[in-house]
Amino acid sequence: MSNELLFDLKNIEKRFVRGRESISIFDGLNITIKKGTFVSIMGPSGSGKTTLLNMLGGVDRPTSGEILFEGQAIQNLGEGELAKWRARHVGFIFQFYNLMPMLNAEKNVELPLLLKNLSKAQRNKSVETALKLVGLSDRARHLPKELSGGQQQRVAIARAIVSDPDLLLCDEPTGDLDRTTATEILETLQLLNKEFGKTIVMVTHDPVAASFANVSLHLDKGQFIEQQSSEAVA
Amino acid sequence: MNNFTLVRKNLTRNKLRLFLNCFAIFIAFLLFGALGAIKNAFDAGVELSADDRLVTVNKINFTQPLPLAYVNKIRTLEGVKDVTWANWFGGYYQEPKNQLMTFAVDPESYFEVYDDVVVDEQELENWKKDRQGILIGERIANARGWKVGDRIPVSSNIFSKHDGSSTWDFNISGIVRPENPQTDTSYTLIHYKYFMETQIWGGDWIGWIPLTTQNPELNEEVSRAVDKMFANSPAETETSTEAQFSKAFVEQMGDIGFIIMSVVMAAFFTILLIVGNSMWQSIKERTSEIAVLKTLGFTAEKVFAMVLAESFLLAALGGILGLGGAWLSIKAITPMTQSILPALVLGHQVFISGLMFIAILGFVTGIVPAWQAMKLNTIEALSRR
Amino acid sequence: MGSLFAQISAVVKMNLLSLPKRVGSSLTTLLAVAIVVTVLLAFMAMGQGFQKTMAGSGSEDVAIMLRGGSAAELNSGLGGDVYTNVSSSPGIAKDENGPIISGELYVVVDGVKKSSQTEANLPLRGIGPAGFSLRKNISLIDGRMFEEGKTEIIVGTSILSQFSGFELGSKMKFGATEWTVVGVFDAGGSVFGSELLTDVRTLQAQFNRGNSYQSIRVRLDGPEAIQKIRDFIESDPRLNLDVMTEQAYYSDQSRDMGRLVYMGWGLAIFMALGALAGALNTMYTSVEAKAVEIATLRAIGFKGISAFFGTLVESLVLAIIGGVLGTLIAFLLFDGISTSTMGGSFTQVVFDFNVSADAFKSGIILAVIIGLVGGFFPAWRASRMPLLKAFSS
Repeated sequence: MSNELLFDLKNIEKRFVRGRESISIFDGLNITIKKGTFVSIMGPSGSGKTTLLNMLGGVDRPTSGEILFEGQAIQNLGEGELAKWRARHVGFIFQFYNLMPMLNAEKNVELPLLLKNLSKAQRNKSVETALKLVGLSDRARHLPKELSGGQQQRVAIARAIVSDPDLLLCDEPTGDLDRTTATEILETLQLLNKEFGKTIVMVTHDPVAASFANVSLHLDKGQFIEQQSSEAVA
Repeated sequence: MNNFTLVRKNLTRNKLRLFLNCFAIFIAFLLFGALGAIKNAFDAGVELSADDRLVTVNKINFTQPLPLAYVNKIRTLEGVKDVTWANWFGGYYQEPKNQLMTFAVDPESYFEVYDDVVVDEQELENWKKDRQGILIGERIANARGWKVGDRIPVSSNIFSKHDGSSTWDFNISGIVRPENPQTDTSYTLIHYKYFMETQIWGGDWIGWIPLTTQNPELNEEVSRAVDKMFANSPAETETSTEAQFSKAFVEQMGDIGFIIMSVVMAAFFTILLIVGNSMWQSIKERTSEIAVLKTLGFTAEKVFAMVLAESFLLAALGGILGLGGAWLSIKAITPMTQSILPALVLGHQVFISGLMFIAILGFVTGIVPAWQAMKLNTIEALSRR
Repeated sequence: MGSLFAQISAVVKMNLLSLPKRVGSSLTTLLAVAIVVTVLLAFMAMGQGFQKTMAGSGSEDVAIMLRGGSAAELNSGLGGDVYTNVSSSPGIAKDENGPIISGELYVVVDGVKKSSQTEANLPLRGIGPAGFSLRKNISLIDGRMFEEGKTEIIVGTSILSQFSGFELGSKMKFGATEWTVVGVFDAGGSVFGSELLTDVRTLQAQFNRGNSYQSIRVRLDGPEAIQKIRDFIESDPRLNLDVMTEQAYYSDQSRDMGRLVYMGWGLAIFMALGALAGALNTMYTSVEAKAVEIATLRAIGFKGISAFFGTLVESLVLAIIGGVLGTLIAFLLFDGISTSTMGGSFTQVVFDFNVSADAFKSGIILAVIIGLVGGFFPAWRASRMPLLKAFSS
């Protein structure tokens, strides 16, 4: 864990317009995330967990405020630039894995590499490494529907890390899995954090899952009300 | 794997839907190719006509005769290059349904006007010498398997000989070959003189007068001069370009081109609806996947291009199969349609316009889904689960 | 769980009520079927319209005679002596002027087609004194009859509607002589209306045809008359004539155009295959979209067959609405349209598109077939929907 900041969010406001009502999710949120932390975010439904995750991943924008990633403001980047930024820096892991059903495991993992100028050999090597890391080398040729939920989530993790991003964003990654499988997945994430220095931000409902993180945040009504480790968050 | 793999996998994920769409497109382009070839066959007379060739016919109607003396009078006109004449014989071979288009022509001047077909020099010489000689077009030679030297009976459903029979025997002197393969050669040529002397009515009337001008720009001037020369005579004339003449003749059957185009458009529109709806459906079903692609860092433009590529691929797959099928079926029916539509071939212009239509189909069916995919709101799409 | 019928009707109702939810794909099927039916009906209307015109032309009690083996008037030629000889044959009805017989001849002249502004062949037919009354359903509606020996013409209403330059009173030149339109006749939509009529002797004289004819028409005096005429011709070695009733002659002439109906069917069947692909697609999508509902119904005890019929009826309803729409479009677009084509005499025949009840029936049958086939396979899938689908999301 270094002391460098990965994210610095300043005075974030986020409002939705639903019908005639304007709903405020965040009103002046400030948070920093240091490189190499494993952050878990908990909180009731509607507290803004997923919105925050989406803003960190550059798929959503704040109404106002600044999101600095390694000192660079990303909230005003164009769609195309944001897409490139995501391809370079971010890996997503979803609750329902979101694999392409018509592609087998290795092709699913290869997907983000299509956005980089890599030779076929380089791509194959990266895919192999990623699948090996999540322990699915022997399932490379299987289609998603031929894999269990846990295996599918491992493929999704492999896909998220294959292009070696700095940041992994996980939205309820164990929400659809049984306890044993969930633990395996969380251990894998922990490994990625400890051994490979990936910064991980994970949204979850599950306190057990949250305990795998080294920083636990609790989000309620757009504010963090509890901070377990002041070292990572200011 | 590359981007194309992804497009291909997307296209083939629902095999049943792919098959149904491909089949619908296949049908549309089969019809397009086959009907296009038929339309072209009807238009062939117009399109392949020489631009400096005029036809003079009786003003009453082209079935009414003209005096032979007109030929020499027309020769003297300024701007006229070559003149010849011809009579309709109304020929058939053995049975009236085996039509054999036969013209009684002047051997000396015919090929001066019709210089887009060629006859071997020796064969032409032989024909000129043999009063009972007949030249047969290459298409007829191929279709019936006739050779130079064969003796064939040709009957007329209009004329008869002095002995009451209406069948003439001819010796095949040579084969008329086209310079352009699409040029129609499904006719035969006999001696005008021999025909007039042996048929019962005799006389020196002729059916029509084909002529060429020194220069296509003189066409209008020459045709006006011809018609003026014979104005107020018992046989007034009407001179038009070969193309106009052929066009008017085809129009007599009705607006075939319009009917064919309407059917093709109806088929095309149907397929547009079906495939467009299906593409739209399949993109709708893939909403969350597209959202995932976007979170992975695929740009909106890339997603747009991939969906459009998919619809192009689908159109090309079914369309090329359909055009191929049309080509095969046209080839299969050609022997049967020789006598009705001699110029029936699936020419490259049908193929090219077919490819164009494939592109249009791909574009129209893909553009809306591609647009939707591009504009897809990632957050909403992901939260819809 | 009620009777099977109650089950089926409940599912049918549920399916039909859900149609608007898939308005896009439902409309696609509907329109595709409509277009296919329209194409079929357009060709049927064309073919049947032509046949109706031809069939309306011939009478049972009029015989037409042509040179032996000539098959059509165009190729026939008869000398004046033939006319004289045959007029004494038994079987020909007589009136105060003697046998009712008309020696006829036509020459092809040009008329300008209004639709395309191109020249087209029209028959200028010379008829004998009895010729006009020999024709069925024919009557002079304007002007007067042509006079013998004068270059005067009466013109059929069909010609007036499709070709320009033949209005009452107009003059035209054929060769060196000028002809005047002195009358207009209506022939009840038959092929006769597509002709210009004049005195046969005038025509012979003006077109140097000597005393020759192409055909002879006679009124028959009874059912056996035609045989009597045939026997008479047989017994006279100078006569070589084919005799047939006018009706037989014209129905023979319409055979080629009758093929248009087959061509229409051919095209429509091809297009229907395409539409079928669309219908199957729509119905499979519909079954897929309702998977949970169908499985839920089955889980609570509905039989598979109710899901089967529900889907089949949904498909049929779409197809039939499409079929009705298609026949309506065809009717509004084509019925009664007048056009002309080259007939058996190498001259133009004017006819009206005719969307008949028979064609309407054919259109609906085609739609029903598309609906049945397009619904059957998806219905099969629906009836075998795994119950587990009800519990998965």
